[in-house]
Amino acid sequence: MRRPSLRALSIATILALCVSLSLVFFYAPIEVEEGFLQKIFYLHVPLAIVTLCGFVIGGLCAIAHLRTRDQRWDLRSYVFIHMSLIFGVAVLITGSIWARGSWGHWWVWSEPTLVSFLIVMLLYATYQPLRFAIEDPERQARYASVFAITAGAFVPMNFLAVRLSASYLHPRVLGSSSNLPAPMALTFLASIVAIALLFATLCAYELAAKRTRILLKARSRILGYQS
Amino acid sequence: MTQLLATTLPEHSSDGYVAAAYIVFFAIVLIYVAIMAVRLGRVERKVEELRGEATKSDIPPARARGIADLDESNPNPALPDKGQEHALEGVPHGGGRSEGHRQAGRPL
Repeated sequence: MRRPSLRALSIATILALCVSLSLVFFYAPIEVEEGFLQKIFYLHVPLAIVTLCGFVIGGLCAIAHLRTRDQRWDLRSYVFIHMSLIFGVAVLITGSIWARGSWGHWWVWSEPTLVSFLIVMLLYATYQPLRFAIEDPERQARYASVFAITAGAFVPMNFLAVRLSASYLHPRVLGSSSNLPAPMALTFLASIVAIALLFATLCAYELAAKRTRILLKARSRILGYQS
Repeated sequence: MTQLLATTLPEHSSDGYVAAAYIVFFAIVLIYVAIMAVRLGRVERKVEELRGEATKSDIPPARARGIADLDESNPNPALPDKGQEHALEGVPHGGGRSEGHRQAGRPL
């Protein structure tokens, strides 16, 4: 475990989160239409962006694993997807809370953005059961990598398809004709940085923990053979 | 839980929803950190057991150093040598409750 970099990452994450929260509640102006409820935007949207990026990065790591046969890439792919799943659950819950406050419903099936995200989450929810149903570690890693690549390719296609379609309720913030005012844009950027740092830090800890566990198991086995 | 929040938080329901969203998010993060802390405790206990076994049994210094490398206070952890790297290949990421016994693994 590289302790200094984990510590630095943790401190940077905590600072970024503090700055982001301060900007959200003390700097960003209250939005005219939704009022205070709009503050959820600074949590929900960065979480969604980071989650989807995490899935794609997991796919890229899987490509590297298939090319190099290096187990470390497979481990990274697993950790990124695992962490994105956790963040994705947070996206769904915060999104439902925002939907309830904004539209009066916890979930709207006619909204393509919501449903497409749910489909992506359900797809990746099969990743772990698929993976751990295979006993042989090499086959497990190979099949998991193929799944991660296919699903990772599906994420941007799904995103584009939804963006091209009409959105009935889900507000379009990025790339829309009505740009965010500067204070809101700065707060949004700070929130994305904070959530991305949090994602990276948690992934770093998870990777370090898994590497340690793998090494521990290997050395237990060596010790077992020795005695 | 949202109803509870709505009754205990400020009058405007939007404040309750915002608070609920942020609380849910930080709760998820805290739960994850707590799970990691528990796993870390388990790993540390395992390291102590292995260290004890290493000192008891007749293991050459190189092997003992390898186990000592799992000690977090060691500033210069050695990388696994070739033999140990091969030993790593047989260990699935999510697999096995007991060492050396390969089974359809539970998530780590």
